[in-house]
Amino acid sequence: MALLEMEEITKVFPGVRANDKISFDLKAGEVHALVGENGAGKTTLMKILYGLQKPDSGTIYLKDQPITIKNPRDAINHGIGMVHQHFMLVPPFTVLENIILGAETHTAGVLTMDKPAGQVQTIMEENGLLVDLTMHVEDLPVGIQQRVEILKILYRGAESLVFDEPTAVLTPQEVEDLFKTFRKMKEQGKGIIFISHKLDEVLEIADRITVIRRGKVIKTLDRKEANKSLIAELMVGKPVFLKVEKKPASPGKVILEVKDLGRKSERGHMILNGVNLKVRAGEIYGVAGVEGNGQTELVQSLAEKVKLESGDILVEGESILNWDVRKRRENGLGHIPEDRHKFGLLLPFPLAKNIVLGKHHLPPFVTELQVMDAKAIRSYSRETIESFDIRTPSEMTPANALSGGNQQKVIVARELRFEPKLLMAAQPTRGVDVGATEFIYKQLVAARDQGKAVLLVSADLDEILSLSDRIGVFFKGVIIKELDPAETTKEEVGLYMTGEQESA
Amino acid sequence: MPKIKINKYQVYELLSPIIGFIASVIVLLIIVILVGESPAKAVGAIYKFTMGTTARLATVFSIAFPLFFAGLAVALAFRAGVFNIGAEGQYFIGGLVGAMAGIYLKLPPVIHIPVVIIFSMIGGALWALIPAILKVTKGIHEVISTIMFNNIALALVNYLVNGPLSGRGTSSLEPQTHEIQATAQFGKLNSLFRVIGWNVPDHVYLDYSLILAIIMGLLVWFLLFRLRYGFEIRAVGTSIDVSHYAGIRVSRVQVGAFLMSGAIAGLIGMQEIFAIRRFYTFEIASGLGFEGIAIALIGKNSPLGVVFASILFAFLKQAGYGLQLFTSVPNAVIYLITGLMILFIVVIDEVMTRYIRALRKKEAV
Repeated sequence: MALLEMEEITKVFPGVRANDKISFDLKAGEVHALVGENGAGKTTLMKILYGLQKPDSGTIYLKDQPITIKNPRDAINHGIGMVHQHFMLVPPFTVLENIILGAETHTAGVLTMDKPAGQVQTIMEENGLLVDLTMHVEDLPVGIQQRVEILKILYRGAESLVFDEPTAVLTPQEVEDLFKTFRKMKEQGKGIIFISHKLDEVLEIADRITVIRRGKVIKTLDRKEANKSLIAELMVGKPVFLKVEKKPASPGKVILEVKDLGRKSERGHMILNGVNLKVRAGEIYGVAGVEGNGQTELVQSLAEKVKLESGDILVEGESILNWDVRKRRENGLGHIPEDRHKFGLLLPFPLAKNIVLGKHHLPPFVTELQVMDAKAIRSYSRETIESFDIRTPSEMTPANALSGGNQQKVIVARELRFEPKLLMAAQPTRGVDVGATEFIYKQLVAARDQGKAVLLVSADLDEILSLSDRIGVFFKGVIIKELDPAETTKEEVGLYMTGEQESA
Repeated sequence: MPKIKINKYQVYELLSPIIGFIASVIVLLIIVILVGESPAKAVGAIYKFTMGTTARLATVFSIAFPLFFAGLAVALAFRAGVFNIGAEGQYFIGGLVGAMAGIYLKLPPVIHIPVVIIFSMIGGALWALIPAILKVTKGIHEVISTIMFNNIALALVNYLVNGPLSGRGTSSLEPQTHEIQATAQFGKLNSLFRVIGWNVPDHVYLDYSLILAIIMGLLVWFLLFRLRYGFEIRAVGTSIDVSHYAGIRVSRVQVGAFLMSGAIAGLIGMQEIFAIRRFYTFEIASGLGFEGIAIALIGKNSPLGVVFASILFAFLKQAGYGLQLFTSVPNAVIYLITGLMILFIVVIDEVMTRYIRALRKKEAV
């Protein structure tokens, strides 16, 4: 009997099916890993399980009884607990205060701490989760804070525990400790859902592994039948329905040169460890890699001024390190950002304004007196909408009324019509429907054929393989291998991506 | 003549203030009944005190001017995502700086009046400068710093008017500066209105503030919706991240909007200082900066919206006096109604926004 079962869960957001008839179950005493790229639908599925989002259809069963989970309180009452990526703790409170918060025991309104302290002590011993209950959370290292989170949900009687990328914030030693806790919890018959990008960890701890991609379950594997390259392939692969027509590349001079780029992450460890790469005019350079290896930080370093530890970035031989975003844009750097909602579009603004955004301060969009030329903006936008086949009632429709695919086309169109020397495309087809994906591919190839340098960063291996003229495989903050797409296979790229095959 | 096209979405957007107003009037009438007054009498009192005579109606407009500047100042900052709670301090300082120019500079009227206006704006902008810089360099939230600056401003003008800038002793016991020179005083436009047949009596102040308000309203509108800089202000107010990636210099835009907001706030006290009292004292009406926040909110941060919202607020103030005077309904009810109206408008606005978005989605599919 499954502890928990989700049956045919479907959730549709405008323009994208985040969950498409996903079925997933959790047995008592197992670790069930959920893997997939960002945007594949893992988070949505878990939000539904935890009552943070309502499914459009589908049923959740708890020990074979159908249940409805309207909010996190329902989830907790059904024994479902969640350790979020960002901890939900009150920093100035003590560990014990944090654990009992929301489930306080009291006598006539006065908090009683002794009884819960005893219960928490027992839970700590059973699960090997030792924490000093009198410490203030703000004084604890991240790994211990996570323990407090786990204690919090165990104290509420959770039997099914969801961990959303718990190892992302931990040191290797802390990861080992966490896994020890996982094993103890398994012994007690609890079920654990483990979300992670790190395949080594998944293979170490999981009993079963479910891979989801583009809102669908691709496969559920037993630990025995799983290996890294298989999982990687399931995660990123896509049935080859998109055959990209392209002529052989005729690369010209070097447009972008990245030299020995080193950068620290917000948490202080090196996220880029000396990246070297060159992109020439008239070629698409594809950066492949499992997410979280530093690709995002690489693109960010190219697009805006950030603090670097080492290295240099040259565009046509000139260092751009001290240029701000505007200067970089004015000098021909186009950027399709990874997260279009957060970084790409002014959602309540009309498309016309979004289409000129970034060049809105230059003629013909503004007169010498800095007055916006509405006529010029609108006619330019109409041309753009037509030539890039953006489906919209008019150029004055606000961007948030469009589907995801059309929104992405707006960004691609904007960046390409600015005629950049270098186009950086980060996950250009993420969350985008097939039709728009195909169109975007054609546009990227056309840009290459016009002599633009294209840096494509994608977690989608098929995308990388079918578009790129050269492939750089990114692993732990460096390009560990450059490959020729004509002479490599998906399997080979996958092995480098997961660090299975060291660069010789 | 530009074509004015109104689509159905704009009509929907207009609905929220109207429904909000009607709903709060209904609540007002319920309260009137609960207090034991007749609604007819209350409505009669409000009518008499706000629109009953030319003088009353003109008074509503007259007290709307400072409110308009307050709303406009806050709205402009809001557009850039800056929450300027400091309009209060900015007009106390702006008014003082302007008054100094009016007292001590010797200029012909044609020049003197623009000069005192500009000095008032500079004073207001300067008082916004430090919070603005603290915000973009140190990340200190403007709500905290501007509130503090309000208190500093009050203490400062109190000291200055009692001390170095005092002109007390000649005509009044109240701490005040010397009188502003005639060349810098705001004259009335009442005779102008009489020419066009609107018989505004002399005790009502329809002064140069009216012209100033029209000019500032148009300038802000032009800035926000026609100039590149205004576009950048609105972009930053919508999304800092998107604006940053589009190459907009976010800090610079926010500082600029903050200073312009302060400059407009510097004009809030002008009517009282330059037309009514003709000297400066720290006892000029306070609290207008805070009313500006509510006015900006109800006016949806648009200059035209602020015009209507400030007249509405002026109307409500007068209505409150009318109720107090002619019925047993206390004046405080008006504060309650004002608060309710804001609440209604914000809630209905949110509902309408969602509805419009859903409609547009359907259309785009």
